[in-house]
Amino acid sequence: MGTRWCRLDEAKGRRVLRLAGVWRLANLDEIRPALEHLDIPPAPVAIDGGELSEIDTAGALALLGFLAAQGADVSGVALERFDARHVRILELVRARLPELEPKPAAQDETFMAGIGRRVWSVFALLAGHVNFLGRTLAELGDALHHPSKLRLKEIAAQFEQVCLYAIPVVALVTFLIGVVVAYLLGMQAEKYGANIFVVDGVGIGMTREFSPIIVATIIAGRSGAAFTAQLGTMILTEEVDAIRTLGLSPMQVLVIPRLIAIMAALPLLVFVGDVMGIAGAMMVADQMLDVTPTTFLARLHEALPLKHVVIGLAKAPVFAAFIAVIGCRMGMSVSRDTRSIGINTTSTVVQSIVTVILLDAFFAVFFQELGF
Amino acid sequence: MSDDVVLEVDSVVTRFGTQVVHDGVSFAVRRGEFVALIGGSGTGKSVLLREAIGLMRPTAGRIRLLGTDVWSASQDELARLRRRFGMMFQDGALFSSLTVAENVATPIREHTDTPEVLIPELVQLRISLAGLPPEAGAKMPSELSGGMRKRAAIARALALEPEMLFLDEPTSGLDPITARAFDKLLRSLCDDLGITVFVVTHDLDTLLTVVERLIVLARGKVIADGPVREIMKVDDPWVQSYFSVRTIVEGKNMADHGA
Repeated sequence: MGTRWCRLDEAKGRRVLRLAGVWRLANLDEIRPALEHLDIPPAPVAIDGGELSEIDTAGALALLGFLAAQGADVSGVALERFDARHVRILELVRARLPELEPKPAAQDETFMAGIGRRVWSVFALLAGHVNFLGRTLAELGDALHHPSKLRLKEIAAQFEQVCLYAIPVVALVTFLIGVVVAYLLGMQAEKYGANIFVVDGVGIGMTREFSPIIVATIIAGRSGAAFTAQLGTMILTEEVDAIRTLGLSPMQVLVIPRLIAIMAALPLLVFVGDVMGIAGAMMVADQMLDVTPTTFLARLHEALPLKHVVIGLAKAPVFAAFIAVIGCRMGMSVSRDTRSIGINTTSTVVQSIVTVILLDAFFAVFFQELGF
Repeated sequence: MSDDVVLEVDSVVTRFGTQVVHDGVSFAVRRGEFVALIGGSGTGKSVLLREAIGLMRPTAGRIRLLGTDVWSASQDELARLRRRFGMMFQDGALFSSLTVAENVATPIREHTDTPEVLIPELVQLRISLAGLPPEAGAKMPSELSGGMRKRAAIARALALEPEMLFLDEPTSGLDPITARAFDKLLRSLCDDLGITVFVVTHDLDTLLTVVERLIVLARGKVIADGPVREIMKVDDPWVQSYFSVRTIVEGKNMADHGA
């Protein structure tokens, strides 16, 4: 098969490599083995292209690169009986051959170095967050000091997105959680004939823990991710630079309205969650546990002190503030390529959810110590 | 139809809703030519380019590219056709998650059975043909300047050694020096590798130095088609005002020299 592409002729002690066929990229998988079959070294002194029908730069590179790798003096080898077009292509590749040494790939880092770099990047990330939080608070203080700086229209627009449009999903999810919790609690309580105490469990559980955590998680995924994607795209399209150039502060125009909107929205959404969760439980109690809605509500009044509802609602703005700061910071730190928007958006959701859970654990201990 | 016509656009009509963009556009490009398509904003130059390479369907009309009817070809035929031309998008459209070298290697790996040992060298050759320094291969697209990004895009478009190269505004956003170097690069690709080049551009310097033939699109039709020097004489208000910018500048220069 070797002769189909190339063969070596030796006449009068002169070694000539004769090429034939179509030396194009598509045929390299056959050309390369054919070349390897040749008896080289010693290297040919000339290449004959009389029977060559086509050659492209890939074919030329395969030929010349192979000869060079075998120690042949590529720059000195004569080209005979070639079409003028083919000579141009061969010369083009021949001239560039010296600079084609593929660069050795960057050394892979060691396992320990990889761990070190990642730990370091987590610290850098946290330091960046603290920095951003500080700047946000300074700008927020400034805005509250001069209320005319607050962009009410932008706040309202963000509020509409973050709060109004989130109500259906929040209502649905918390309703179902209420159903599930009441159902599971009810199965246990029924064994002791303690059906009515399901109301205590659901009332306290929903208002103090489930609703704030679940709503905050939904909003972290919905609005936190949206903040990062929106601000990141604005960085890419240089809108943020434009804002700065117009003498406006991106913090005032972009970050503060989002922060205020989400801090106002989350307690309201948590309240929606409280009501819907209890409604879900009420439905299960009525159908399964023989606790009528009237009895349910009467028991709720006795069993659910206001403080649990207040604690649940009070946690919400803190969660919201952290979601906003993480979402906006990750958006503002997008580097100038599209890939980093995806990376940062993912990172926002992960960080926000972890932060919400950590804060919740902190609040649990904190309120316990305070005696609530 | 003669054998060496590589692109044939035949009475193409494009409508978006009620807006007529092309109202019977026809022209042909022969092998080895360096052709530019010009026209005012909104005359559908980029749309025509996208229709020619099978990204957008014209409302009516026929487009034959390298012997294949783009809009009636089977998926297999289209796939084969796509290996035979390269396209450079306006902003490069490099894959931002891959290095320049990986960007160039992608079409080679996807479409050919090239032995793996040959690929790194082949990629370096493309990078070098596009006029990039060897170390550019290891960089990410986001680390490149505008001009380098365009060169990397050319390197990727050349990966499969196409017979035809389409370019959308190759010199836009480049400084004049880089833009002229880019023109030279395109010219040499056309001359040395025998690639047919079809370019949508607004750059008068490109038109006057490297382009052989000009196709002018206006009012939904081809209003002029021929060598640049002849097009300059065409009696059309848009063509005249287009080239008059140039004469004003040159005239001013001459006046300066005279003074």
